[in-house]
Amino acid sequence: MNLYTLDDELVCIIGPSGVGKSTLLRILGGFIRPEKGFVRLLGEPVTRPTPRIAMIHQSIVTFPWLTALENVKLGLRYRRLSRDEEDRVARRMLELVGLQDYADFYPKQMSGGMRQRIAIARALAAEPLVLLMDEPFSHLDEWTAGELRREIYNILFGKETTLRSVVMVSHNLVEVVELADRVYVLNGLPATIVGEVRIDLERPRDVMSDKFREYVGILYKMIMPIRSRVSRG
Amino acid sequence: MFSPLLALTASLASVGRVFATIAVAIVSGWLLAYLSTRSRVFENIFIPAIEILESVPVITFFPVALIFFIENLGGYAGVEAAALFLVFTATAWNIWLGIYQAFKTVPGNMVEAMDNYMLSFSQRMARLYIPYSIPRISSELIPSFTNGLFYITVSEVFSIGSTDYRVFGIGSLIYDLSSSGHYIEALYSLALLAMIVSLIVIGLRRFSEYAIEKYGLETESRIHYARRGVIRGAGLSRLSRAVTPIARISRYVARGGIHLPSIENRARLSAIWKISKYVMVIATFSILIYIAVIKIEGIEPSLWEYLFSRIDRDLASIAIDYARIAIISLAALTMAIFLGYYVATKPGMERIFIPASQVIAAIPAPAYFPLLYGITHRYIEILLGPLSSEFYVLLLGFISTYYYIFYTYWLGVKNMPAQFWDIMDNLSLGFWDRLRMVLLPSTFPYIVAGMTATINGAWGGLAIGEHWPNIYDGRSLEVSQGLMRELALASDRGDLVLLTWLSLLFSISVAIYAILITRRLMDLAGKRYIAEEAVFAA
Repeated sequence: MNLYTLDDELVCIIGPSGVGKSTLLRILGGFIRPEKGFVRLLGEPVTRPTPRIAMIHQSIVTFPWLTALENVKLGLRYRRLSRDEEDRVARRMLELVGLQDYADFYPKQMSGGMRQRIAIARALAAEPLVLLMDEPFSHLDEWTAGELRREIYNILFGKETTLRSVVMVSHNLVEVVELADRVYVLNGLPATIVGEVRIDLERPRDVMSDKFREYVGILYKMIMPIRSRVSRG
Repeated sequence: MFSPLLALTASLASVGRVFATIAVAIVSGWLLAYLSTRSRVFENIFIPAIEILESVPVITFFPVALIFFIENLGGYAGVEAAALFLVFTATAWNIWLGIYQAFKTVPGNMVEAMDNYMLSFSQRMARLYIPYSIPRISSELIPSFTNGLFYITVSEVFSIGSTDYRVFGIGSLIYDLSSSGHYIEALYSLALLAMIVSLIVIGLRRFSEYAIEKYGLETESRIHYARRGVIRGAGLSRLSRAVTPIARISRYVARGGIHLPSIENRARLSAIWKISKYVMVIATFSILIYIAVIKIEGIEPSLWEYLFSRIDRDLASIAIDYARIAIISLAALTMAIFLGYYVATKPGMERIFIPASQVIAAIPAPAYFPLLYGITHRYIEILLGPLSSEFYVLLLGFISTYYYIFYTYWLGVKNMPAQFWDIMDNLSLGFWDRLRMVLLPSTFPYIVAGMTATINGAWGGLAIGEHWPNIYDGRSLEVSQGLMRELALASDRGDLVLLTWLSLLFSISVAIYAILITRRLMDLAGKRYIAEEAVFAA
């Protein structure tokens, strides 16, 4: 299979459970070496994890012994900035995700949504070119997830970040249609790309619109298990 | 002339004693743990008592055992009982705590099923509680065996005044062979012991794997995998689950006490808990003071004056020993942090190093140390001169105890959430940043628990090393000052009053240390350094 992602593009990968979406994402991030093939970032091979490709996990990971600010500073360590500069950048990243007033709070004093914002700020602080997100909203309640989804696109592609592209894995088709510019659909065994759908809707997207629902329907049909599609004729 | 049969019989006698005490600890643990599940009052006395006893060096019990058993039982039976008691104190607390935790975590629906079928006490034990506790017990066996064998070899030979007390075993056999200059025979005996220990450790590892496979709940392992999924592959997963008692304590610390059933009751129970602990501390001190008074009440006022007149020197001796303990513990911690990380991140190394280190740690240091001393003392004396005795005492303390902190730290690293590794790699964190910001905080509960065990073990090493007459070829290992030396000398002279007095001072220092340092570190570990809280998953 071949995948690519372009500048200012949010690409989603969807598919039935167990098809290998998260594994594919980890391969893209250099966390797993592919048995065959390769990953390239701006033409350079990706053979190991790099801050240039940041990963946001499905389960929300923050370090409980570090404050929100210190958590974000982790993303800056490799840049070897001065202490003041490190502090300034970390605070700017917290502001970007709306947590400027919570810099000295510990994660356990925060909700799941706030923790995920810390994780995003930490990833963005590393100045990545590509952000990989593995079902980033799946552990949040629907209300919090919806709120974060509405903000995330502007956060990720705002002027404050170095990001040029986002790849997200998700099960939630409404979420996918709401956020994606393009969708890859994985299916079958062994998994292959069975479809590629461009979501041609203006932002912000209206989840109640007919066109939106139509896209959800298209994707739904494509991720149905291949055998059941066959049996339904 | 080396007699393989004699060495084999002696090894089996020592190993048999260890397993006998472990068996007693298990059976009594079942009963005590069951009582704890039934009675809140009993639980509130039992658990603080174990917590205190667990944080007290085993060697503290030795004078008590000597005085009580030798005086009251006398003869061979008294010596045997003293040796068994000492080994019991080295093995029981962790096993009791492990069984208690197993019983407390029996799923409620299983207990309800037992209620539903109206099963009797023995049926409940046989069909639910005992099988449920088997994986926990199996994971305690290797460290308990290691700990027990260390102390059995120490306690098989000791002297009070001009009387030598001894029981038959590999410790006394190697001691006799070494002290009579039969070093080759001692070496053969040691090699035989090493073979037996290796076989037992391998057997216990197999049993642990079998017990987890057969009696472990599938759901439990899945939770472990999901929440701490760093470990991949069946072999390692088993290894990870077969945690040591120390690691179990660290989890116990991290969870803030699994016995607290609901949030609403926590404040109230916490108050009860604290009061119970203070009651237990006061009770322990009362017992010690009572024993001291019984021993001391009949003595002349001039002797009191003598005891108080030497208190400056005794306190200085305690301070010097604490300095030794600090050096040993820091050396062990430093080694653990670097080697533990290296081993944990190199799967090939891990598969060889961990079982090998378990076997090596299980071979009691007091059995082979005289031979090590014999081979090296010439060179060390040239190198270190008058400091060579100090070096050997520290070395003995180190080899007796490094394993605990190494193993718990390694386990802490293995149990870190998998996502930590991803993030560290992803953000290109350097080794020192990893260490400072992730590894040390994440493994802090393990380090605290491991250091407690290491410090306790180091006391055992000092107790043997500070005064070791005729360690090799007529030479003695002796330091100029130290509480353990004073205790050994008082024991040699048969000065039970001084022995009791010094034990009391030592116990007070240990209790102060436990309350001021260990408890605070454990509380801190439980409040802030909980790696499980890092992963938020609805």
